[in-house]
Amino acid sequence: MKLCEECHSAAASVFLKLAVNNKVTETHLCPACAVKKGMGLGLETGAFNISEIVGNMSGYFKDFLPPERRTLCCASCGLKYSEFKENGRLGCPECYKNFEAQLTELMSRIHGASQHAGRTYAGGARLKLSRTEFSRRMGELKVALKAAVAKEDFEGAARIRDAIKELGPRHA
Amino acid sequence: MPDLVKSFRPYVTWANARGAWPDIIFSTRVRFARNLEGFPFPNRAEPRQLAEIRRLALAAARDSGLFTSGHFIKLEALDQLEKRFLVERHHVSHALAASVLPSGAAVSEDEDLSVMVNEEDHLRLQCLNSGFAIEEAFAAALKLDETLGRALPFAYGPKFGFLTACPTNTGTGIRVSCLAHLPALSRLGQMPQVLESLSHLGVTARGIYGEGTYVLGDFYQISNAACLGRTEEEFCLNIDRVIRNLIRQELAARELLLKGPVKLKTEDAVYRALGLLRHARSLSYEEFMQNLSLARMGAALGWDIGVDFSTFNQVTLLMQPAHIQAAAGRSLAPEARDAFRADYLRKKLA
Repeated sequence: MKLCEECHSAAASVFLKLAVNNKVTETHLCPACAVKKGMGLGLETGAFNISEIVGNMSGYFKDFLPPERRTLCCASCGLKYSEFKENGRLGCPECYKNFEAQLTELMSRIHGASQHAGRTYAGGARLKLSRTEFSRRMGELKVALKAAVAKEDFEGAARIRDAIKELGPRHA
Repeated sequence: MPDLVKSFRPYVTWANARGAWPDIIFSTRVRFARNLEGFPFPNRAEPRQLAEIRRLALAAARDSGLFTSGHFIKLEALDQLEKRFLVERHHVSHALAASVLPSGAAVSEDEDLSVMVNEEDHLRLQCLNSGFAIEEAFAAALKLDETLGRALPFAYGPKFGFLTACPTNTGTGIRVSCLAHLPALSRLGQMPQVLESLSHLGVTARGIYGEGTYVLGDFYQISNAACLGRTEEEFCLNIDRVIRNLIRQELAARELLLKGPVKLKTEDAVYRALGLLRHARSLSYEEFMQNLSLARMGAALGWDIGVDFSTFNQVTLLMQPAHIQAAAGRSLAPEARDAFRADYLRKKLA
């Protein structure tokens, strides 16, 4: 009888075969340990909690990322670079501008290149925002405009006025 | 039975075993990861923003004309069985099905095109085709991408290309994958070396439902690992070469299974598996898949199995847990499900 590779006491009845990072690993578990590993629901359809089994994947990003100051963050969505290093997810499209230097290096390591060579994109139609989303955005911009004017940051104010124009009149 | 499940066809065209090499390549998928400008990525968006993104995405899909008589779905409104059904049809990922936040999907009538909304990225556009059909799937996915890209402003920059929540998808945002059935290589124990060699070719192998799923019935999803720095066509071509090579290896492995005394063992395993599929009175999905794999290999070897690849492929879908419960018209406990599966399969193979 094969024993569970997790608790080493109960009989293994769950046989798990995984293809992770192009390596096939085989694990024998008892039902209790299989459930603990988040496979209770997924046994039939093949879903499981991958991080529990192969270890935390964020290590993948940690290993590849250059060390950075803790303060670096995205001016648009506020995501800290250190948070990105933890979970491997960026917060918004603007993160790519705000972390450009760091991401250039990361891209070379992930993709073997850091310059897009595929299709170019000319842009799509302006978003037909809902009334609530439109007013929320307009409200935010107006608050920011007031603050910029109060600080006599005229360059900033001009940028915000452009953004207001860009947001445009609400669609029909 | 839930209305959503009833509104889908009983069979899907991408499992009909047309296209090249249907005995080895079950289906081909091409997907693009896309995001909307002006919104945070889903992991940082608030529920009201996710709802707005879904509204915009489903409206664009509806207006595109590519989803006539299709399905437009709000996922969090569905029950567990309906969600699992969509996962089993490969229109929705496990991760998205588990989400309680505003998320959705658009699926075309014959289920070859779909759009997943608010998974890791705002949009995942995909085309699924039967057999080995990279060119066809690429052309259809590109058309979907270009159509929606005119209606919606995608996040894009000249340096990094299409911008995605995870940097592994940035650039073209393309993933080309083939669902390959490799029973002979598996039986000979050669899969570890095969997968090892794939990793040197810029290719990733996953289980049957994609990321974070395990290997069932010797089915492997083979897809490109990188997607930045080359054109979409080059990424397609690389996978095309890898798959052709994999097909040659599987064919060579089959030859070995027919040599000398090994042949009898192979034959015995195949026909025992067929017997089990035809006569079992209780069958779990895992056991079904193990035996289906062997019987399917018998058909691939040209033996008189009495089941064609289209039937093999359709039952592979129909025997999944949510499909079984949909066929039964009610939710079933695992034991009852296994009994129902065995009966249902006997009828399908008759």
